[in-house]
Amino acid sequence: MYRLALNMLFGDRAKLAMLLCGLSFSALLMAQQSSVFFGIMSWTYTPMVNIRAQVWVSDPMVEQVNDAKPLRDTDLGRVRSVDGVAWAAPLHTSFVQARMQDGNFKLITLVGIDADTFAGAPAILTQGRIEDLRLPDTVIVDEWGAALMGRMGVGPDGKPRSTPLMVGDTFEINDIQARIVGICKVKRAFTGGPFVYTTYDRAKGYTLGARRTLSFMLVEPQKGVTPAELCGRIERDTGLKAWTSDTVIWNWGERSLARNTFWWFWTNTGIPFSFGTAVLLGLFVGIAISGQTFYSFVLENLKYFAAIKAMGAGMGVIARMLFVQAFTAGLIGFGLGAGMAQAIGRAMIEKGMPPFVMYPQILWATFALVLGISFVSAIIGIIKVSRVDAASVFRG
Amino acid sequence: MSHEAHTVAVRASGVDMFFGTPDNQVVALKQASFEARRGELIMLVGPSGCGKTTLLSVIAGTLTPQAGTVEVFGQRLDDLGQEELTAFRRKNLGFVFQSFNLIPTLSVIENVMVPLLIQGRPHDEAHARALAIIEKVGLKGREEGRPNALSGGQQQRVAIARALVHEPPLLICDEPTSALDKDTGAHIMELVRDLSRSPERCVVVVTHDHRIFRFADRIAEMEDGRISRVVDDPKLLDTTHL
Ligand SMILES: Nc1ncnc2c1ncn2[C@@H]1O[C@H](COP(=O)(O)OP(=O)(O)OP(=O)(O)O)[C@@H](O)[C@H]1O
Ligand SMILES: [Mg+2]
Repeated sequence: MYRLALNMLFGDRAKLAMLLCGLSFSALLMAQQSSVFFGIMSWTYTPMVNIRAQVWVSDPMVEQVNDAKPLRDTDLGRVRSVDGVAWAAPLHTSFVQARMQDGNFKLITLVGIDADTFAGAPAILTQGRIEDLRLPDTVIVDEWGAALMGRMGVGPDGKPRSTPLMVGDTFEINDIQARIVGICKVKRAFTGGPFVYTTYDRAKGYTLGARRTLSFMLVEPQKGVTPAELCGRIERDTGLKAWTSDTVIWNWGERSLARNTFWWFWTNTGIPFSFGTAVLLGLFVGIAISGQTFYSFVLENLKYFAAIKAMGAGMGVIARMLFVQAFTAGLIGFGLGAGMAQAIGRAMIEKGMPPFVMYPQILWATFALVLGISFVSAIIGIIKVSRVDAASVFRG
Repeated sequence: MSHEAHTVAVRASGVDMFFGTPDNQVVALKQASFEARRGELIMLVGPSGCGKTTLLSVIAGTLTPQAGTVEVFGQRLDDLGQEELTAFRRKNLGFVFQSFNLIPTLSVIENVMVPLLIQGRPHDEAHARALAIIEKVGLKGREEGRPNALSGGQQQRVAIARALVHEPPLLICDEPTSALDKDTGAHIMELVRDLSRSPERCVVVVTHDHRIFRFADRIAEMEDGRISRVVDDPKLLDTTHL
């Protein structure tokens, strides 16, 4: 009978197409919306991804990575003397205005890294060398920023257009020249602008006499000391706050700066709410569409199920037939929808906009939801068929 | 077992069947009593709306009457629970519905296989038996097509093949030949009559089609929700209203 159940499902191509459209569209909607949501939320802790270090140390009042409260330079020494610290490097981060050659201003995220260790340097340089940061007045700009801050020129068609900044181009930060010696690939951030890397000492210059410039310390544990362990020691010995750098949402620990940043935005801004409503809306629409399409499929077949019932099929058999149909449609619909979400996501990642983070968990959750919808629809169908009067099949 | 138990296949006695609310009641069967014998083909005739289909439904156990009892092959239907009744139908009954109720998304042969598959027969056996009966009703070569691609008469034959395929002890047909021409109708009725020719079997046919009356062993006339007369010879029927 299950073979027939499947044939009933596949027998009507038009209806099947409708059903799969509904299911896959809702799977797409759910997976895509939540991926964009987590993508946007992941932008909040972008610095954790772009500035790489095992342990971050901050002022005890700091709650999240975008809110640096400067430390004293002497704190560096105190941290260095904590047992288990291999090395500790200073880090400066701030949001400053950069003046482009055409006179326009752009907000940038200025990152000053230690010139000796280059701790916190970007992982991927598409142009230039990190060592060139030791040359005077030099910076490294991220790819997206280079395009955003692009040089205005005249294209081959005579119309003005902007080309990305390249190695050799210059701009100004607080009237001090910044010469580009490298282009890097980094993750975009929710706050601030393009990432502009320079050395810690030069960052002091660019921020003009800001009294304190030590935003964070990047710390490397000695072999055999876990980051979490070291964080505990640093906090105990110095009274500062120390964080691990886990950015992976499902295994970040209590001490993860990314996690705390995520939750800080969650509780203190309207971002999760506004994007969360979009996600929920996607979920509801998805559930409604797939539930509705499956339900109408059941309704259209109700008459035939009634006939099968009159011919002596028990409710057990009919229930199993409906489950086979529902889960098959659910599986295919999920497959199509998830596939489309992947494809769209890939295109989005390429463009970097909007952010898109499709955790495997999102796929699993979508899968569970779609199967849940199929399950509920099948149950409704079963109730319908069990209520249908078998005698109705005798009437014309 | 009494002699009677050996001869009676279906017995309905004093059956009342009402539809609708108490203040807007339609009486479909009123103290209807009906008997069909083993090994016979009995026809039910009567004007439209007199309750023929309702009586068939009551015999098939798909409708539970408000009063009266129904016995099929010695089994009181009111003694059976819902699932038992379903199992009883699965084992003992074949149906030809007035509207054929073929499943449009399944092929002809798959439709015919349904009663066997419901009984839990293996797919291959069901396929072979369905193919044989499809051949008997003259639809060889159409088994892989969809019912909707067939003419009304051909669809009716598929419905009949489906009713016969598991050789049910009690075959219930509601207007089995309404869409068939004279020759096909006669051919189908021969198949149906052959099925009735066994002491374990019985066929009840509702019809308006006087061309097939000759296949009946007996004919029961219905009027206003009850059997008014049973005759052995179609010539004795009052056919003015048929
Ligand atoms: N489910 C129902 N609800 C309400 N009334 C019904 C229902 N089923 C049958 N009836 C009524 O019961 C009466 C008998 O109907 P039934 O279908 O048994 O007639 P019939 O003899 O089979 O007619 P036909 O020859 O047109 O098929 C009719 O008046 C019909 O309207
Ligand atoms: Mg009728």
